[in-house]
Amino acid sequence: MELEARRSVPVAAWEGLNRLRQGGTGLFAAGLTGFLLLLIGVPVGMVVVMSLRTGFPGEDVPLTLENFVEVYLDPGTYEILLNTLFFAVASVTVTLLFAVPIVWILMRTDIPLKKTIYVLLTIGILIPVFLRTIAWILLLSPRIGLLNQWLQQLFSLSSPPFNLYSLTGMAFIQGISFVPGAFFMLAAAYRSMDPSLEEAAYTSGVSKLRTFLKINIPITLPAIAAVMVYLFMTAIAVFEVPAIIGMPSRILVLSSLIYSATTPATGLPNYGIAGAYGAIMLALGLTLAFLYVRLVKQGKKYTVITGRGYRPREIALGRWKWAALAFVFFYLAIEVFIPFLVLLWASVLPYLQLPSAAALSSMTLQHYKEIPLHVGALPFINTLILMFTVPTLTMVLSVLVSWVVIRTQVSFRGTLDTLAFLPHAVPGILMAVGLAYLGLAYRSVFPLYGTVFIIVLAHTINWIAYGTRTTNSVMIQVHRELEEAGRVSGASAPRVLGRIVLPLIAAGVLNSWIWIGMLSYREVTMALTLYTRHNVVISTVVWQFWGSGWVPQVSALGVILILFATLVVGGVRLALARVGEIGSAS
Amino acid sequence: MKIVKRVGTYGLSLVMAIHAAGLAYAGPLEDLIAGAKKEGAIEFYGPSTLGPEGAKALNDAFNKKYGLNIKLQYSPSGNMTRDTGKLVGLAASGQPPEWDIMVVTDAHHGSLWLRKLHDPFDYVALGVAKERIEYDRGTVSVANQFALPTYNKKLLPAKDVPKKWEDLLDPKWKGKLGVINSTHHWARLAAGAWGEEKTTDFVKKLSDQKPILSRAGEMAQRLILGEVLISATLQDSQLHEAAESGAPLAFAEDIQPVISPEYHVGVLKGAPHPNVGHLFVAFMGSPEVQPIWKKHTGHSSAYVPGTDAYKFAQGKQVVYMKQSQAKLVDKLARQYGKILGFNR
Repeated sequence: MELEARRSVPVAAWEGLNRLRQGGTGLFAAGLTGFLLLLIGVPVGMVVVMSLRTGFPGEDVPLTLENFVEVYLDPGTYEILLNTLFFAVASVTVTLLFAVPIVWILMRTDIPLKKTIYVLLTIGILIPVFLRTIAWILLLSPRIGLLNQWLQQLFSLSSPPFNLYSLTGMAFIQGISFVPGAFFMLAAAYRSMDPSLEEAAYTSGVSKLRTFLKINIPITLPAIAAVMVYLFMTAIAVFEVPAIIGMPSRILVLSSLIYSATTPATGLPNYGIAGAYGAIMLALGLTLAFLYVRLVKQGKKYTVITGRGYRPREIALGRWKWAALAFVFFYLAIEVFIPFLVLLWASVLPYLQLPSAAALSSMTLQHYKEIPLHVGALPFINTLILMFTVPTLTMVLSVLVSWVVIRTQVSFRGTLDTLAFLPHAVPGILMAVGLAYLGLAYRSVFPLYGTVFIIVLAHTINWIAYGTRTTNSVMIQVHRELEEAGRVSGASAPRVLGRIVLPLIAAGVLNSWIWIGMLSYREVTMALTLYTRHNVVISTVVWQFWGSGWVPQVSALGVILILFATLVVGGVRLALARVGEIGSAS
Repeated sequence: MKIVKRVGTYGLSLVMAIHAAGLAYAGPLEDLIAGAKKEGAIEFYGPSTLGPEGAKALNDAFNKKYGLNIKLQYSPSGNMTRDTGKLVGLAASGQPPEWDIMVVTDAHHGSLWLRKLHDPFDYVALGVAKERIEYDRGTVSVANQFALPTYNKKLLPAKDVPKKWEDLLDPKWKGKLGVINSTHHWARLAAGAWGEEKTTDFVKKLSDQKPILSRAGEMAQRLILGEVLISATLQDSQLHEAAESGAPLAFAEDIQPVISPEYHVGVLKGAPHPNVGHLFVAFMGSPEVQPIWKKHTGHSSAYVPGTDAYKFAQGKQVVYMKQSQAKLVDKLARQYGKILGFNR
């Protein structure tokens, strides 16, 4: 009926209405762009402002280049920059050495226990990196590392074969912690890869390994390159491993330098110097973001997904099945099982000690019982606030951005998409420092300092890039004709979005919502930078415990955190088993 | 000699103060109690070694003493230097402090005093011995720490335990030493027994030993595990915690001078609960706090005869810090932090 009524409307009036709608969409897109610009631009702007000032936030001081002079005339800065680049390159290399074969094994072969491995990889992401790092100290420290001791005994070595306290050691730990993330990013490319070339190789009698090296890797090179750049950007920004392994050995990278400038081990904070170091990070991040966007665009030229409607065939590994399984479980052992066992071990001892009969006889559950007393309710409440508000805000913004980018013809939609990706170019620590400075210096207009909502804001900004990548890919999969039908029926754009698009993308959005909630739950760098007495969250409590030397208590809390994450992930996977695995949309 | 004088006057003042508290100074006390009742809470920053149980014990004793029902919120210190710095930063930007009172070392309070971040009060009027009041009536001394080279008894043979500070510079310890971020320990030696030149030279040589750097609690764990063989300094609070869990840490007790950082408590300028704060500071200066503090942190006051700290200090050359040294200690602590590699 309504449609018939529409038909009776004169054409000119109908076109006018359309123009009005398009105008409204444009206005909405402009508003959204402005809002994002403000959201991302203000903290970044604060970093620039603080780099041009000395003294404390809020002090009335003139602008100066003093900080830049101090930082850039110091040869040590360039040494640290080199450290950072080496650390990032080496971390990404370690990641790819594990991630690419694992992706191929899981996506293209008939390896058993796939679902279990998916869950374990997901848990791998959710184990806080600093908890794993503590476990690795117990394994690879040159003095006390169990692995070093065993290898020394086994091969009668005069010195320990591994030294964790080195850039290589740091990169190894960081690299293996990136593997699950890289896996989920590469999985989509491998899953949907056209198998014709691969099959041709097998038909010609080429071995599986050779096919993997000569066909699979080259064909997915654009995807691998994009993941490399993405991880490189992340590696430059990470803080936990450089803090726990690097700082005690005076091995500094840019992130540890920024942290120690704002929260120094001795003396007073120096925000100006942090800002000047941050400028290097920002320049690096923006360059890499540009490269990443270029690579993703380039990647589309080498598309491996055609419209021919195929389903890649799983390769039968035969007797190699067990070798592949051993490789995957070797990785899972070093990423998940061993760190978890080390934490479990440390959590039941009165004090941290290496395995022995005496240690076994002193086991206790005391630290678990004392957790409520030591932690209190506030960190749990604040963490729950983070876990609900951060993914909600991020996904609302992401859906709106993706809708404009994917579904409208607004001329600046590309700019909006790039803008939404920019937070990934701004290291989390820098974003947090910028927000802290904003809160301290301009508290009358930004009264969030010291509240949990400043962490909510930092996390939301940080994960907009991830959220929009997810919603972009989910929205692309929904055919336009459904929305067009809605529009033709006279529904407004918000109504089409709410009644047609949202229900169709709900599963993907929910997946990402849960995922971002879990990332927020484990995040420590930004929470620590913005930490005050009132916005303490679980991850900062763990960090504080570690600093106080309460290792058994840290371990007990760590075990509980990991079990909680496992329960959530396991539950979510069960609940969403029919709508695709978590992270697959990334 | 100085300590004997302080103990004598402390005892005399205590008797006078107890008397006075009951007579002439009932007014300010009553005013504070009335104000405290209205405020109802206190944000308490203190050493992590106190723990939640210790904080609760203090809270209970305080409420019992003054007939109050104040809720104490305890913030354990993860890093006193960082948190002092953070407080200075907050104050500079016009933000109120996160805590009402802070129990940190005299060196940290020195940094606060230099920037006028205490809320001074006439604690003598509340019965606190004059000798325990420092930093222009801003703080009250609670207990003494002792800091010395520390090792793992199970891992370091007795013959290798250092006998003097200079033993730490022996090349055999290269890469096996640890240094904690309490660089004010060295600054105290510079301001007192050793002088600046000797201490700076020592710190430079210590840095050449490529020590592992960390916070005190973390260092205790590294010592327990054997990752570090000797920590150049560690406070007795870490030894107390280690002893409670059965971990084999010990001081190299032959070494002198012994560094003695003092825990002071003071109300912070702009504190949200100043009445409870001042009342609590006065309470912390009272004798009944000593056994609670000792039980939970392992520390007691070297100025109170009969305490463990008093006994430990007897016959030893102990380096105490004076208010007049605050500026130098503040400056040198930062300088030594740079030399050792904590800061750039």
